[in-house]
Amino acid sequence: MGNSVSKVLGKLFGTREMKILMLGLDNAGKTTILYKLKLNKIKTSAPTVGFNVETLSFKNVKFNMWDVGGQARLRPLWRHYFPATSALIFVIDSSDTERLDQAKEELFSIIGEKEMENVVLLVLANKQDLPGALGPNEVSDFLQLGESLKNQLWCVIGSNALTGQGLIEGLSWISKNTSSSH
Amino acid sequence: MMSIHLDEAPVRRMQPQSDPLTRKIQRACRISLPEPDLALNLDVADYINDKQGAAPREAAISIVRLINSRDSHTAIFALSLLDVLVKNCGYPFHLQISRKEFLNELVKRFPERPPVRFSKVQRLILTAIEEWYQTICKHSAYKEDMGYIRDMHRLLKYKGYSFPKINSEDLAVLKPSEHLKTPSEIQKEQEIAQAAKLEELIRRGKPEDLREANKLMKVMAGFKEDNAVQSKQILNEELTKLRRKADLLNDMLSASDSPDVENDTIVELYNALRSSQPRFQKIIEEEQDDDQFVQDLLKFNDTVNQLVEKFDLLKSGHPGEANKISVANISSSVDNGGALANEINLIDFDDENAGKAPSNPAAGTNGLDDDLLGDLNSLNFSNNNNNFGFGGSISLDTTNVPVPAAPVTTTATTTSSSNFDLLSDFSSPSPVQTQQSTNKNDLLGDFSSAPATQNVPQSTTVSDRYLVNQSDVLKFEFLISRESESTIKVTSFFSNVSISQLTDLTLMLAVPKAQQLRLLPQSNTVLSSYARDAVHQESWIDNAVKNAPKPLRVKWKVSYKINGTPKEESAVYTFPNV
Repeated sequence: MGNSVSKVLGKLFGTREMKILMLGLDNAGKTTILYKLKLNKIKTSAPTVGFNVETLSFKNVKFNMWDVGGQARLRPLWRHYFPATSALIFVIDSSDTERLDQAKEELFSIIGEKEMENVVLLVLANKQDLPGALGPNEVSDFLQLGESLKNQLWCVIGSNALTGQGLIEGLSWISKNTSSSH
Repeated sequence: MMSIHLDEAPVRRMQPQSDPLTRKIQRACRISLPEPDLALNLDVADYINDKQGAAPREAAISIVRLINSRDSHTAIFALSLLDVLVKNCGYPFHLQISRKEFLNELVKRFPERPPVRFSKVQRLILTAIEEWYQTICKHSAYKEDMGYIRDMHRLLKYKGYSFPKINSEDLAVLKPSEHLKTPSEIQKEQEIAQAAKLEELIRRGKPEDLREANKLMKVMAGFKEDNAVQSKQILNEELTKLRRKADLLNDMLSASDSPDVENDTIVELYNALRSSQPRFQKIIEEEQDDDQFVQDLLKFNDTVNQLVEKFDLLKSGHPGEANKISVANISSSVDNGGALANEINLIDFDDENAGKAPSNPAAGTNGLDDDLLGDLNSLNFSNNNNNFGFGGSISLDTTNVPVPAAPVTTTATTTSSSNFDLLSDFSSPSPVQTQQSTNKNDLLGDFSSAPATQNVPQSTTVSDRYLVNQSDVLKFEFLISRESESTIKVTSFFSNVSISQLTDLTLMLAVPKAQQLRLLPQSNTVLSSYARDAVHQESWIDNAVKNAPKPLRVKWKVSYKINGTPKEESAVYTFPNV
């Protein structure tokens, strides 16, 4: 929400605010990513039951980042977080090849929703440090986003939440690809 | 001039694109309509109920903008639409009209001091607020979320505005519905309400909202069982209220020999009971796993039937017959005896009716009176292992039928859930004296339309085998023959059509009250694989006259174990004419 004065100033100086929704299966690393970005610290977290929300300022953009728990029983509630979302970050555990199919299914069911048809999609192929992790290209091939998404902007970036690798790149890709009029 | 508002808060700008909702709202409020169109308004309500999510909020925002339009015609249409949505879209919409921003917008055109004469639009707005104030602010299950409506009401009053009087019919619509809801309905409503609340909290996004959202999300995700438990609790509370009403009605009807059936309280109680009755069946369907619960409800249904009948008799001027109906006090009746007692109750359909039908006229002579649904009373569990004492030798038959050599023992049932299947189809209105009311209160109603097959030719000496039921495991046949004018002999045959051995095979039969059943022990309880007719049981049905207007029906249940797993099959079998 924020107050209107800062909004006016924000417009003058070109800052903007956007809602980013971070989803993905449980144990993909969403909460770790959020706090790595916010605090530059590794906060070992128990599985998120519910959600976390933090505000990050990056360049001239204020991101309201929503990290919603990914356990199966929480997934039906994801849709309540869709309204007013500008960008979706879908986090995948690249080393958990057994559940890639499940992740893909969840991703497609999200972006198939009407409320999400105008968001830009960033897929973070997380846990690149783990042995056996698929590279971002492999994840990208697996997801076949190019064939399925006609009008949506998307991008797959490899990441490692522990070192922060890929996270800033992801955010700058989002800020570059969301119009300021959104 | 914005002189009346609770707090300055920016009102969200509307999205310019025209989505289906906006279009529907515009269609319902367009100037070219001669008057508010209920069908178009309901169309908007349906759309919102279907979409949920942001729809209630967007609708509220568009409508309040139209209410503030310069054109009073449009404003009046928008207010009529608002009224329809408040009455049809439930909590998700109530949550939106109780937002501070919405309420401030709604009274945007109200001057600081009340005008000498209100415009029509102002009057309608005041009417709406008064209506909400008197209904959802007081009765909603979530009335704590409607605080701003109360505040706005107070504020307007303080400023000198007076509210129109609302007629009680309009208020009635928004009061909580009297009719019973099944647990799944309650739960569904809860889920919709919780989802609406969650989205609203996320939208507001203030720290305290987010804290609450997190809590709510845990409830929604983790504790669905909680919801289920809660909905059952709500249902039980409602049933307790109804039981009290039944008792009260009973007291009032029994207070004197000719109670005043026009008495408002009596009529109200009667209507409350009457209208909730059709819900019982639905509830039983959902709750059939809970034996005790279904049992209680069936019993209660009997009571309600009796009361309804009593009332009808009194009303039609038959106090004498009405007084014969003595209704047991339901809410104070105590169940004793634990599982076994329940088992007995399960079996005895007829608990309450026994007292009420002092002399069952020789049925069969007048088959119409003979309401099968209410009359099943002689269900016999029989077992061939001569273990008479085992599990208590309980005679269920209140009508004192000679039961030769039939060891009636209850077998400890493993899962008794489907005992209720056996019962759930049966309502027990058995108005013995009145013909006209037989099919009035049938829980199911389907039996009441049983065709009267009167003139089917029959042959007395035939003895035929009829397939009663065949599952992929068990074939169940009746060999039926008539022994006398009133007695039919029925021999049950069981064949195993599967490769697995069946053990603990038990047959249970129930006949209508007018008939009596005599059973001999089963020949065996074990059916080896593919054994034909390996188990049989002889039985006689007395008082089954030839050419009865209603075909004879029996309710049967077979339980057995296959590979150690208990199974049950049951249904109603209609006898051929023999």
